[in-house]
Amino acid sequence: MMRRTHPALSAWAALTYAFLYLPILVLIIFSFNDSKFGATWQGFTTRWYGVLFARADVREAVLHTLEVALLSTAISTVVGTLVGFGLWRGGFRGRTGLTFLLVTPIVIPDVVMGVMLLMFYAIVRGWLEKTGWTFENGFWTVVLAHVTFQISYVALTVRSRLAGYGRELEEAAADLGATPVQSFLRVILPLAMPGVLGGALLAFTLSLDDFVVTYFTSGSGFKTLPVLIYTAVKKGVTPDINALSTLLVLFTVLLIVISALLMRPRNAGEQK
Amino acid sequence: MKRLLPSAFGLLLLLSACHRIESKDTAAEGNGTTTPRPSSTDNGSTLRMFMWSDYIDPEMVKLFEQREGVRVVIDTFESNESMLAKLQGGGASYDLATPSNYVLQTMVRAKLLQPLEKTSLKNFGNISPGFLNPNFDPGNTYSVPYQFAATGLAYNDSRYKPAEESWKLIFGPEDRVKFALLDDPREVIGAALKYLGYSVNSGKVEELRAARDLLRQTVKKRGFESFSGGPEIRNKLLAGSIDLGQIYVGDLLQGAAENEHLHVFLPNEGTTISTDTLVVLRGSPNPALARKFIDFVLEPKVSAAISNYTYYGNPNARAQPLLDPFLKSQKAFNPTPEEFSSGRVEFINELPRGNTPRLYDRIWTELKSR
Repeated sequence: MMRRTHPALSAWAALTYAFLYLPILVLIIFSFNDSKFGATWQGFTTRWYGVLFARADVREAVLHTLEVALLSTAISTVVGTLVGFGLWRGGFRGRTGLTFLLVTPIVIPDVVMGVMLLMFYAIVRGWLEKTGWTFENGFWTVVLAHVTFQISYVALTVRSRLAGYGRELEEAAADLGATPVQSFLRVILPLAMPGVLGGALLAFTLSLDDFVVTYFTSGSGFKTLPVLIYTAVKKGVTPDINALSTLLVLFTVLLIVISALLMRPRNAGEQK
Repeated sequence: MKRLLPSAFGLLLLLSACHRIESKDTAAEGNGTTTPRPSSTDNGSTLRMFMWSDYIDPEMVKLFEQREGVRVVIDTFESNESMLAKLQGGGASYDLATPSNYVLQTMVRAKLLQPLEKTSLKNFGNISPGFLNPNFDPGNTYSVPYQFAATGLAYNDSRYKPAEESWKLIFGPEDRVKFALLDDPREVIGAALKYLGYSVNSGKVEELRAARDLLRQTVKKRGFESFSGGPEIRNKLLAGSIDLGQIYVGDLLQGAAENEHLHVFLPNEGTTISTDTLVVLRGSPNPALARKFIDFVLEPKVSAAISNYTYYGNPNARAQPLLDPFLKSQKAFNPTPEEFSSGRVEFINELPRGNTPRLYDRIWTELKSR
């Protein structure tokens, strides 16, 4: 039987959700406001979405954002999964240290990370230039920067997914004649899959939303959506930016819902 | 590990080469217009600018692209500080930037700029006298003015009509008017200094103390609503949640063009002004093209078109007749040369190094944390 929830607790929960979601709701409503400045409600319109889709810089930024998000997610998912697997498997020294190192990119402020990477790229460029090579910041430096923080999320998600299983699984697989590679691909990976996919989606949304790190590592002539939106805000938000943000919010929410669905079912079933 | 690193970077380079080719293809596909689009790797025909968002008429960019047969790439920043950080970090090669006058000296000291070669700018003579040889860039060695923003007081006449055009409305004893101030230390302290009859760049301890005491009183008034950004103050005036707001004239005029009840004036005691400048960066891959663009912006027609688009002040003497009649009808839009020479409108300059910046910081922190 379910226990009754105290009304005050429900009210508190409702307030919390209102606090979280009202600003987003306001943003969505005002993207349909028929006023250039959006201070007061002037009537319903969808024309800002038209204005938005006509903008070439927006189209280009959408493309850049998706390219970066897809590629960085692919790389970080592969690397992150292997790291998560290794952490679960253990059997080497410095596991605690490694876990700590994985948490660092998550808790470190974005600005520090952005500036750090900018300096790092400058140093690497300095070395390379001695050998006659050079590169400019742009697509690849942004991808690499995103991978840097994404790996942690994927690895930790995969590790916590595997946490409930023991090493006996691998031993049993070996008893039945599986090579280490086979036992990883056929036993461990399928078990870890919800964690892998969840981590990948998390990584994808993080890449999609990132402003600070991207701003610092993107060099010249390479813009993503968050950079476009954030730099436009200072001179006054135009409603087409509201429209763009609305679409970005909806897309991100969709991904998070999918990610939550992927992570849920098995755990819920087992823990009964 | 040591052997791994070089090969990883080799891979990176290879991949980035692939990406270049890829992006060249998409550039060619995605462009059905008549504008010639040379490849992005060809620095001789690409102009890269780093500027405020929505700060140039796209038509003028197109015109320049067509006239010179080049491609213009514009990246945007949201504060002078983040622009500086990105430029100093390296890895981004821009030709042009639009810093505000108060960071110009910092950029010169950081060796981020290259001299303009004024002789190559045949339209240099069009610049209004008030903007020539400014004290933040003696002799215009590094910069020409792009657009400027004077700070005024704005109101919504359907709710409130000011009795006089003075800072007294805010700093005087009157306590019924609801007002908001800009969320910017130099603007707020500068306004108080102006009201007291001092320079907006004052470094004198007694003057700053007087300004601090005045501001302490001001933020305690019942009518004081908040410190906000320019567009936010415009929206608050439109929505009627304040009667009076300190605001950049350009921000207000964008609203006034759509709502006839919005008005703005420059207070009698004088006010602050800041210019955004055009500069050529030291690392510019294509300084000749950058100078060509600067000369292009100095053309009266182009300069006027940009102001007609942004509603920000125009520092080009020969562009004045070509401005939008609406802008010309606004007294606050373009201060007269006398207002400049008399010091009624005063540039916000970088503060002298030493103790002064700390005094400003302390006043501001106290006001904000009240």
